[in-house]
Amino acid sequence: MTAFKRHSSGGLIDRTQAVPFTFDGKSMRGFAGDTLASALLANNVTLVGRSFKYHRPRGIMTAGIEEPNALVTARKTPNLSATTLELVAGLAAQSQNAWPSPAFDLMAVNALLSPILGAGFYYKTFMGPLKKSWMWYEPFIRRAAGLGKGSYERDTARYDTRHHFADVLVVGSGPAGLAAALTAAKAGLRVVLAEQDFEFGGTLLSQGDDVTRHWRDAVLKDLQEHAEARVLPQATVQAIYDHNHVAIAVKTPSGMVLELLRAKTIIHATGATERPLVFANNDRPGVMLASALRTYINRFAVSPADSVVIAANNDSAYLAAFDLATAGVAVTVADARKTLSAEVLARAAQNGVAIFPNSGIADVTGGKQVKQVRLSGPRNATIDCDAVGMSGGWSPNVHLTSHGGVKPVYRESISAFVPGELPRGHYAAGSCIGTFGTLGAVADGEKAARQAIALLGAQPPARELERPGVPPDRAYAIMPVWSAVAKGHEKSAFVDFQNDVIAKDVKAAHQEGFFSVEHMKRYTTLGMGTDQGKTSNINALAMMADLRGVTITDAGTTTFRPPFSPLTIGAIAGRSVGKHFRPIRRSPLHQWHEQNDAVFIEAGLWQRAWYYTWAGDTPETAYIKEMELVRSGVGISDVSTLGKIDVQGPDAAEFLNRVYVNGFAKLPVGKARYGVMLNDDGVVLDDGTTSRIGQDQYYMTTTTAQAGEVMSWLEYLLQCHWTDLHVHVASLTDEWGGMAVSGPKSREALQLAFPDVDLSNEALPYMGVKDIHFEGVTVRLMRLSFSGELAYEVHVSADYTQSLWEHIVRTAGPLGIKPYGLEALASLRIEKGHVAGLELDHRNTLDDLGLGKMASKDKPYIGKDLRFRENLQVPERWSLVGLELMEPEKKLRGGSILFAATDEIKGHGRGYITSVTWSTELQKFIALGLYQGGLKHEGEDIIAAFPLKNEQARLKIVSPHFIDKQGTRLHA
Amino acid sequence: MLERVSPLHHATVYNSEGLSLSFDRDITLTQVAGAAKALKTSFPKLPDAVGLSVDYAGKILMRIGPSQIWVIGTPPDPQDGLFLTPLSSSRTRIVLDGARARDVLAACAAVDFHRQVFKPGQFVMTGIHHMPVLVHCVDTSIFHLYVMRTFALSLWEVLADATHS
Repeated sequence: MTAFKRHSSGGLIDRTQAVPFTFDGKSMRGFAGDTLASALLANNVTLVGRSFKYHRPRGIMTAGIEEPNALVTARKTPNLSATTLELVAGLAAQSQNAWPSPAFDLMAVNALLSPILGAGFYYKTFMGPLKKSWMWYEPFIRRAAGLGKGSYERDTARYDTRHHFADVLVVGSGPAGLAAALTAAKAGLRVVLAEQDFEFGGTLLSQGDDVTRHWRDAVLKDLQEHAEARVLPQATVQAIYDHNHVAIAVKTPSGMVLELLRAKTIIHATGATERPLVFANNDRPGVMLASALRTYINRFAVSPADSVVIAANNDSAYLAAFDLATAGVAVTVADARKTLSAEVLARAAQNGVAIFPNSGIADVTGGKQVKQVRLSGPRNATIDCDAVGMSGGWSPNVHLTSHGGVKPVYRESISAFVPGELPRGHYAAGSCIGTFGTLGAVADGEKAARQAIALLGAQPPARELERPGVPPDRAYAIMPVWSAVAKGHEKSAFVDFQNDVIAKDVKAAHQEGFFSVEHMKRYTTLGMGTDQGKTSNINALAMMADLRGVTITDAGTTTFRPPFSPLTIGAIAGRSVGKHFRPIRRSPLHQWHEQNDAVFIEAGLWQRAWYYTWAGDTPETAYIKEMELVRSGVGISDVSTLGKIDVQGPDAAEFLNRVYVNGFAKLPVGKARYGVMLNDDGVVLDDGTTSRIGQDQYYMTTTTAQAGEVMSWLEYLLQCHWTDLHVHVASLTDEWGGMAVSGPKSREALQLAFPDVDLSNEALPYMGVKDIHFEGVTVRLMRLSFSGELAYEVHVSADYTQSLWEHIVRTAGPLGIKPYGLEALASLRIEKGHVAGLELDHRNTLDDLGLGKMASKDKPYIGKDLRFRENLQVPERWSLVGLELMEPEKKLRGGSILFAATDEIKGHGRGYITSVTWSTELQKFIALGLYQGGLKHEGEDIIAAFPLKNEQARLKIVSPHFIDKQGTRLHA
Repeated sequence: MLERVSPLHHATVYNSEGLSLSFDRDITLTQVAGAAKALKTSFPKLPDAVGLSVDYAGKILMRIGPSQIWVIGTPPDPQDGLFLTPLSSSRTRIVLDGARARDVLAACAAVDFHRQVFKPGQFVMTGIHHMPVLVHCVDTSIFHLYVMRTFALSLWEVLADATHS
């Protein structure tokens, strides 16, 4: 019966540091240096959870990252592998997928249904009877199966990102990795050694001898003395992308750092994973990889209490057998091979290990723990034991070499896949290329490093690296055994332990025609989950190859994709969470808005003042009050977000003349002009005003939304098309802040602010521009109006914008000046009929927007020819109209679909509402919209439908200029 | 007089062992563009390549493009063939100083900030958390970060956060 014990000496644990922890609420104790798995075994806990589908009892199968069974939830994180989880004081781990406990799990009833729950069962069974039946079944199925549960609680761990660069990245710190890293470091290169374990050494940690440990310690010490060598424990290389861009997840005490490393060369020393053997009940708690048994005894001083049976097909199993025997455990090896080497037989005799050649394990007896095994083969014996070891050979870890698209190739001599031909700058060493001995691995590692050194042109170390003083490597002898399942036992012979895929499922996939290993994977779910089939893939594909009658090479492998091991989403998000989710762009007046009770709204990355609470507590009430202020008195609004571009040079006038549809060449100095520019396809790109502030210098403004695009467009034109023009453009969006002072009292307000400046209609007429000097600072006054009222834009260097704003607000206070926000700003322009971003959506032409007449007929400009394309000239294009709501009790919504009064309310209609507002002047809802045929339908009643809320309203098509059509107010 | 207000004027300067995060309140920055000959006439000592800076006549000249430089310091006089654009308000200068400064930068930008690679006098135009930033190495452990003023507080917050990484 399964039982484990901790030895009183040996191992790499620190017995002076006891580490308390709990498992399923039960208090236990381990030692520093333990993993959770080793500590559980030391506490004789062998049942740690239930399986994914059948809820079969499961224990600890491995001692590494490949663990399929022993997944736990700790620190609110599910699916942590107990075999890699470092034991720390206070760790509280919970078993998964069992209720109420792994020992008594109600869902174990699934196991009784296993005959009908095979691969494909869900796909076939839950598709009917109705079309959407799966949607109904899915929650129940997902609840019954699973790999732990995530938490909705806030993750308190900290996830950072960092960027690093290296000459050489060495992945893995086994003998090959250590040798490679030290050799490269001795050449003075920048070296990163990444090890997923919390201890360096890889397989050296499992060897149990002092010689290799001392060698490891010496190499590590030497390595750490090289300033340019970084050694990273608990650092899993998760992905290798193009150009050697590597993602490394590094655990930290507070969470994780995702290191994005650019390495000039990469040395893969990723080791190999031992394969299980497929036999009946090979998933019982206590059935483990032979190498895991060796690791537990040599690294953690934990072993089965008395006896072990190991099923093997290769010599490496005897390393575990002999070490266990030395530790006093009775060992029996059932070896599939008929003939074994004399050396193995001699050492077995010497160590008291019983060997059954030409044998295997037919079945394992025991439910929640191993009780005995029945051997297959000539002896057909039954043996009582505490644990079972499986050694089906070794699979080199080819995942990372495959990320870059290098296909693994099958090597018959070791019955395993190894990396294919690696690209320039990539090297592999050690067991990941099938060199399974320590000395061979060290030699491989040094050789790979010297190749990298040569490629990088560095000076290689003069002396060869010191070798560990161990006996020469033994040949790796293996006879592949992909399945040892006796007929009738396929239902309990597991190929993929994590996904409960049994030998029978592989057969079923073949019978159903899913021959390709990729199809088999999807059909059976083999190779999915947190372990990504690290222990199961090759057995399965070899079984499929056998069923198909093809070679393993022909069967091929599935695709290896990042990440290499489970990676929390938090590590990918890094610090881009909370207020750092994305950057915020703040106007120079942002702080003033905050201090004066503005409510903000996102506009792209900008945070803009939406409305101010002086006017109301909701946007619906506040913007109306703010509009009324502007229409009747004076308001001030932040327009700093407008794009602003400095255009200067002797050819600046010509340049603008080509960019805008209307003429700019003759614009006098001191005047501004509204302009529209087109894309080269003839569709409107943007609009804005541009002021001539000197003979060869213009000050262009763009919409907030298109500022970046217009700037890029202008630079593109100058750099690629009109290189002959002597013009320079520079963005001033951040250099200048701006404020609109609007309303019939705006002149009066500015006069109070700038008493020495003549602001009369004659001195600063509509579209006039004037730079003044106020308290040592240049202030640009532009008589422009977005609202339709007498209005000015006041621009000033951004560092002085807040001071100037405060000055204007203070001096114009007696006039009742108050701030108004974006909502009012946008509503005032609707009343005036100005188009803005919602209408300038890169789909509309000048004519669509009623701006066709402003285009010059005489001069060329970008988009001129293509704006007259036939399709852009058809009379039924959706064109700008004004809309008035005819049903006062109703409300209008932006985005409503427009229909003719006689239309069936269905489909995309004849247009849509682009912008809508309550008109303080007309005391009704008004809107701008695009409607088929546009103002040809002026005066007609139409329908606005908003299907999402099942609303409809009657509208009248009117001119888009709702107020002051003659522009009297502007020119006041 | 109107008060000059930095976007970081309420930011708390960060000081710890091996690192300080601060900002310069008033910088004078002028972008100068022009043909190579015109630039050479006005600035006899020009950085040889984009990404390099030189100290010249009490100013820092940074070559930000083949025919564009930034002048940090007293603005140059207007001259035929040169286009001057004052950008003193448009950029905020954040200063990272200390032995840990390179580590903080490594947490922020995909640039090799190793001391053997990124040396005094060099600068890079890169992105930090989606914001365009120019990072200038002014001394082995002192870095000036020029960021658009409208992003200055966001960058400051990102850097302040990165000091805890």
